Amino acid sequence: MTSPTPIINIEHISKIYEMGDEKVYALRDVSLTISKGEYVALMGPSGSGKSTLMNMLGCLDTPTSGRYEFNGANVNELDDDELAEIRNREIGFVFQTFNLLPRATALSNVELPLVYSGMKADARHRRAAETLASVGLAERTGHKPNELSGGQRQRVAIARALVTQPSIILADEPTGNLDSKTGQEIMALFDELYRQGNTVILVTHEEDIARHARRIVRLRDGLIESDKSNGASA
Amino acid sequence: MIRSGEIIESFRIAIESVRVNLMRSILTTAGVVVGVVLVVLMGWTIKGLDAVWEQTISIIGKDMIYVDKWNWTGGGNWRLMEARKDITLAQVEQYIDRAEAPELCMPTVRSWGANVVVGNQSLRCSAMGVTYEYGMTPAGEIADGRFFNQIEDEQAADVVVIGHNIAKTLFPGGNALGKTLKIQQRPLRIVGVVEKRGFLFMDFIDNQVFVPLLTFRTLYGFQGRSFSIAIKAGNEAMLSVVRDEAVGLMREIRNVPPSRDDDFSINEMKAFDAQAANIRLYIWIVGIGLTVLSFIVGSIGIMNIMFVSVTERTKEIGVRKAIGAKRRSIAVQFLVESTLLCLTGALVAFPISQILVGSTQWLAVHVFDFEAASVVSPFIPLDLLGIAAAVAVVVGLAAGLVPALKAAMLNPVEALRFE
Ligand SMILES: Nc1ncnc2c1ncn2[C@@H]1O[C@H](COP(=O)(O)OP(=O)(O)OP(=O)(O)O)[C@@H](O)[C@H]1O
Ligand SMILES: [Mg+2]
Repeated sequence: MTSPTPIINIEHISKIYEMGDEKVYALRDVSLTISKGEYVALMGPSGSGKSTLMNMLGCLDTPTSGRYEFNGANVNELDDDELAEIRNREIGFVFQTFNLLPRATALSNVELPLVYSGMKADARHRRAAETLASVGLAERTGHKPNELSGGQRQRVAIARALVTQPSIILADEPTGNLDSKTGQEIMALFDELYRQGNTVILVTHEEDIARHARRIVRLRDGLIESDKSNGASA
Repeated sequence: MIRSGEIIESFRIAIESVRVNLMRSILTTAGVVVGVVLVVLMGWTIKGLDAVWEQTISIIGKDMIYVDKWNWTGGGNWRLMEARKDITLAQVEQYIDRAEAPELCMPTVRSWGANVVVGNQSLRCSAMGVTYEYGMTPAGEIADGRFFNQIEDEQAADVVVIGHNIAKTLFPGGNALGKTLKIQQRPLRIVGVVEKRGFLFMDFIDNQVFVPLLTFRTLYGFQGRSFSIAIKAGNEAMLSVVRDEAVGLMREIRNVPPSRDDDFSINEMKAFDAQAANIRLYIWIVGIGLTVLSFIVGSIGIMNIMFVSVTERTKEIGVRKAIGAKRRSIAVQFLVESTLLCLTGALVAFPISQILVGSTQWLAVHVFDFEAASVVSPFIPLDLLGIAAAVAVVVGLAAGLVPALKAAMLNPVEALRFE
């Protein structure tokens, strides 16, 4: 069913924060493989290292030790700008707090990754408008974030993540700031993306949300506690 | 390589940021405003002085040479010049006989402490004894009436030609012609008023009266006076030939042995250029000092506000990095912003400078009676605006550099975490 091509392959990853004399182990010797087209939920209690792992997978952060291969490339060897390029082309981020630029319109927000990838203005406008339409916001392109509801803002953020047609979509508690009904609407959107063949990885501590994924990875104290496929939904 | 889309995006963000914090932006650019105003004022003043100076020396005659006992520009050793023998009228006449290069040459003699009396008014000025030919030099150009003629000259007539300031002071109504003034109790008829000649630090030229050489002798005598020779070369190209001939002839006439230095000085209008250059230099030094100072203050203000801006937008920087902005994109964004801030300052400074320049010029001409300023444009020249804007851009880039680098180097995870 899922293609066997691994898009993410981490081996023995650790992340240690030094706080004065104290060492905080955010991740301890974690290994994980995620293939193209998977729908994965990262779960675990607060402080278990979900966000840390997510940032690592998204090439925002680098591990203290261990090896990370993304799409066959060794991420450990890349410099800041090469990581930025990977984030731009291959990764779409969705944040709990949306993180839209407050003074830019929905369209400009969605266009931004394309600005950094160097796409020409008209192509950019067209692509961003299409992407906004695909998340159901065709009528809202000229609105600024404060003129949109929470659910609409998160849709804009999802459109921004999708606009470069990335290899994976990473969402850190994408429904965390939304009521449960709106949360379910957003999850329906992720389900749809998954059905279209996208690789989706999301962080959550709500079982309701995790249930949408096909595979659930549970973390505790920086370790993978369990890694199971999710039979609940089909 | 930075893509054009990013630059446009940077401008969009920067304009937005300056606009949203407009008051803050304008206040922080105060130092830059002052700096730009100073650059413009300094540039305009120097250009103005150059124009005035150019006017002055061209009026007095770029092709004039004066052989004198003294070096007028203050060069040379004062004691040595004091010890020189006076130049006598006989020596001047010998030179005039033998000189071939000049278009015109004539003797002049001067008394610095002349007292001119009209009615119960008296004025201290300098009196010159000259020949009628002086009226053919630029310094003797007549505004009103005429210069005295050869016959008056030869007959030692009781006539006088007066300088612009003397006419203005003694005859404010402007009806000096035909009137009589007294020098050494001797009544002299005013036949002409000389055009305004003296600009800048050459004002003394307008405080002179001219009488025929022989009249001068009856007023003051030639005893103990050193003559000078006014020589008109005809054109600037002839200057060096005329100068060389004058040096050669005067050495011969005054029996200067080959081993000795000249015992006279050759004075040229050009020599005053050095003085003008000095004044220009002082303006530069003072102006650049003040400008640099205000730009330092200005750039500290800009740098400070840019650090604030970077901190305020830490989260935004994190988001931009997360979606693929490279370090240089972030740096460019903040550099554009600081540059735009400085250009805003320049934009505020331009009308202020124009008002200052315009009113300075007006005050100089109309209130301080500094007529020379009327040859100076009351408008800021465009190239000066360009230079001032360019300086503002450089200051913006310099002041924005460290904050921009700080923003570019932010760790994306920590930036995203920032509240
Ligand atoms: N910059 C940092 N400096 C020090 N410690 C950190 C830092 N970032 C994370 N940690 C620590 O690493 C551990 C894992 O943090 P992480 O944010 O990954 O947890 P999480 O699973 O996402 O928690 P939550 O569900 O609350 O978001 C925590 O103990 C946290 O305190
Ligand atoms: Mg977290």
